[in-house]
Amino acid sequence: MKLTAQDLAAGYHDRAVFEGLDLELPDGAFTVIVGPNACGKSTLLRTLARLLPARQGTVLLDGSDITSLPTREVARRLGVLPQSPLVPEGVTVSDLVGRGRQPHQRWWQQWSPEDTVAVASAMEQAGVASLADRPVDQLSGGQRQRVWIAMALAQRTGTLLLDEPTTFLDLAHQVEVLNLLRGMRDGGSTVVAVLHDLNQAARYADHLVAMRDGTVVAAGPPREVVTVDLVRDVFGLDSVVVPCPVSSAPLVLHI
Amino acid sequence: MTVLRLGGASLVVRQRAVAVSLVLLVLLAVALVLAVSLGKPYVAPGDVLRSLSGAGTPYDVVVQRLRLPRAVLAVAVGVLFGVAGALIQSVARNSLASPDIIGITQGAGLAATVALTSGAAAAVIAPSALAGGLLAAAMVLALGARHGLAAKRFVLAGVAVAIALRALTEIVMLTAEPIDGQRAHIWLVGTLAGRGWTETLWLSGTLVVLLPVLFWAGWALRTSALDDDTARGLGTRPVARRVGLAAAGVLLAAMVTAQVGAVDFVALVAPQVARRLVRAERPPLVAAGLTGALLVVLADLVGRLVFAPTQLPAGVVTAAIGGPYLLFLLVRRKQ
Repeated sequence: MKLTAQDLAAGYHDRAVFEGLDLELPDGAFTVIVGPNACGKSTLLRTLARLLPARQGTVLLDGSDITSLPTREVARRLGVLPQSPLVPEGVTVSDLVGRGRQPHQRWWQQWSPEDTVAVASAMEQAGVASLADRPVDQLSGGQRQRVWIAMALAQRTGTLLLDEPTTFLDLAHQVEVLNLLRGMRDGGSTVVAVLHDLNQAARYADHLVAMRDGTVVAAGPPREVVTVDLVRDVFGLDSVVVPCPVSSAPLVLHI
Repeated sequence: MTVLRLGGASLVVRQRAVAVSLVLLVLLAVALVLAVSLGKPYVAPGDVLRSLSGAGTPYDVVVQRLRLPRAVLAVAVGVLFGVAGALIQSVARNSLASPDIIGITQGAGLAATVALTSGAAAAVIAPSALAGGLLAAAMVLALGARHGLAAKRFVLAGVAVAIALRALTEIVMLTAEPIDGQRAHIWLVGTLAGRGWTETLWLSGTLVVLLPVLFWAGWALRTSALDDDTARGLGTRPVARRVGLAAAGVLLAAMVTAQVGAVDFVALVAPQVARRLVRAERPPLVAAGLTGALLVVLADLVGRLVFAPTQLPAGVVTAAIGGPYLLFLLVRRKQ
């Protein structure tokens, strides 16, 4: 297991979002977390990525407690893309992607030849190499999202958590991002993403986690997990589930 | 982007920042020669250079004793204010945040006013001003820290503290003996007249001691423009970084205010001018320091010449530049 949550609790201020949550995220797989708005999926992702301190319980990264590791060490093994990261004004694509190298650098060792290689190959892989000198704040939403993914790739972590990476993108760009993430999985990375669209989740995920009201309702391969009962349970919708004519993954059609 | 290497160490610099800094250095050298040569008596630039090289000229007293110490102090004051402003503005992500807006200058001013009007020895004034500036900053940081030094709260807390401290200063001044009030008033505007090597030594000492911190700051600022989640994901501790960067800026600002009084608006204007020249996402430290130095040298020169023989304090001239600049910022922001 890449990431394991044990008896995990987290929340904001006096509101608990989830308590006693157990979850295992398999190594080298593309895991997708789905669920209705406010079900706690983003909070779970932020807690797994140690962006939000857990109130109780532990998150294990490769078997070791994530809070016992120095945050820099975690950042070399686990990358995370928040939902809508703030784009610094006037920063170029290559400059922003270069900041993904932060955990590999020190203030007295600000740049190594390895950094140059990692940045170039990350931009290549994410398809933003041709935009290298453009300011990020002048790019379209789809290009921008690929730049952020390139930054995470430059970090060379082996594991990447993404919070709704396809929100605000049109369908073509959603597919582009999902294919990019699947490509990362094919390259051996562990990818965990929160997605809104259940059908996209079913089609792309190796491992699907369905959440409702702060609890994990089901977890497993989409073909086993996505059923009429689950859709009613999680989203409160009546539906039929048929095999997708393109991918044969379960396809949910609401009634 | 260029990488400078020295043994195992490496430093990332931007070509444009280097070019801008070099141009600023040349301008600063010219301004320094002008500052030493202009005035009554006029000393030709050639004679200035001859006197400085130790050739022995009739102008040695004017050049070496009167004008040079003051001009060099202007450089030190400008550098410290410029760097302090760049640090604080970067942390606050706000071009309006500077030590003279968020209460540090006012804290130093209140402490100095109390010292001046209570008949304390002259040697006590600078240390009390320093302590006042640091205390005010601690107050602002404590008020802002409740929300992890989130940009807007931090600035608003600072503005509130600044207003309160300024009101207290007025009360102290008005209830003091008129002559003491007058002295406090002169201190508060910030002047380089009658000051020189001693103050320069203090300021450059501060800069040298903080140099490793500033190298770290130049690096840590690379993640200051990212949101906290992204910065944390990169393995940094954004709140700790902000506190460290703000503390360095506060220390510089409090130190320089304690030595020469409130030379207003330099810390506000210099970083933003430097940022526009370098075209960076945040004020560059070196260029901000040099811009500050240029600004103070020129402000002091103008203050010395324009109404001669009356001397305007440098702080009055910088404030006269700063007011319109502030308006310019506000107008531009609306567009």
